[in-house]
Amino acid sequence: MADHGHEVSGEIHYRQYAVTWGWLLVMTLLALGLGYAPIPEGLKALLLVGITLAKIFLIASIFMHLKFEKMNLVMMTFSPLVLALILFFITFGESGGSSTHILMTH
Amino acid sequence: MDASLAEQQRILSSDWGGGKSPFGTSWSKFMMWIFIISDALTFAALLVTYGFMRMTAAAWPKQTEVFNMVLITFMTFALISSSAVMAMAVGAARAGQPKKAFQYLVLTIIGGTIFLGCQAFEWSHFIHEGATLTHNPWGVPQFAASFFVITGFHGFHVLSGVTILVIVALRAAMGKYSADGVENAGLYWHFVDVVWVFVFAFFYLL
Repeated sequence: MADHGHEVSGEIHYRQYAVTWGWLLVMTLLALGLGYAPIPEGLKALLLVGITLAKIFLIASIFMHLKFEKMNLVMMTFSPLVLALILFFITFGESGGSSTHILMTH
Repeated sequence: MDASLAEQQRILSSDWGGGKSPFGTSWSKFMMWIFIISDALTFAALLVTYGFMRMTAAAWPKQTEVFNMVLITFMTFALISSSAVMAMAVGAARAGQPKKAFQYLVLTIIGGTIFLGCQAFEWSHFIHEGATLTHNPWGVPQFAASFFVITGFHGFHVLSGVTILVIVALRAAMGKYSADGVENAGLYWHFVDVVWVFVFAFFYLL
């Protein structure tokens, strides 16, 4: 009975994985389109960050099963993202001064 | 006495209170998560350094003109697809279907191998054009350095992942696998996919 229950939930997951896979491909194509889009670079960066975070959210929550994990584990997985942001903004001031980078011109 | 037992139960079942298994996972899965988080910090440092180098560079080559974006998109497709199939392998292993788990694992390995083949092709093309760690035929040397270090480090992770998956698949074929083992290998594989999502967006498209 328990095995049957697992199989059923497994089948449900297959469908969910396939749907997630489809969304990930759609978002990949969207990101690719943005790479060529004639829009301001600042806006492009913002949209790319948004799409990337959406993809990460899908992979982490569904493929990596984080949505079934306890909240403290979920919170722990965010630490590299937070530390990366801190590192980025620490160095941002120094790099921005002499920059001709697209992000700085918009 | 009852009150202290109730308090202990409350601590064990709460998210933040500690207890015997505060993260509610097996030790092996928890260790895999610790590894993934520490590895993510390494990639975060690499990507932030790339951002710093790019912002301080006088000019940066237009990636869509330097790279074969059809190939890069195909590589992304291969990796995302292998990640989806890996999730199915974990589902099959959890459902007690070793044959199905093995088949999905083989598909995942094929996806990873295709990715590695495309990357080898891309690297050889770049090297043939004259790119090295210190020289870039399209402009600032930081561009080629970032390319080789970031994609190389990621590619090494993919190679390691394929090796791990081959071992897990062989064990599944021999009936020696455990669902936890497949899930842990899967977590690592999805992490490799997550890193590529960042690299694809920030290195190839931005």
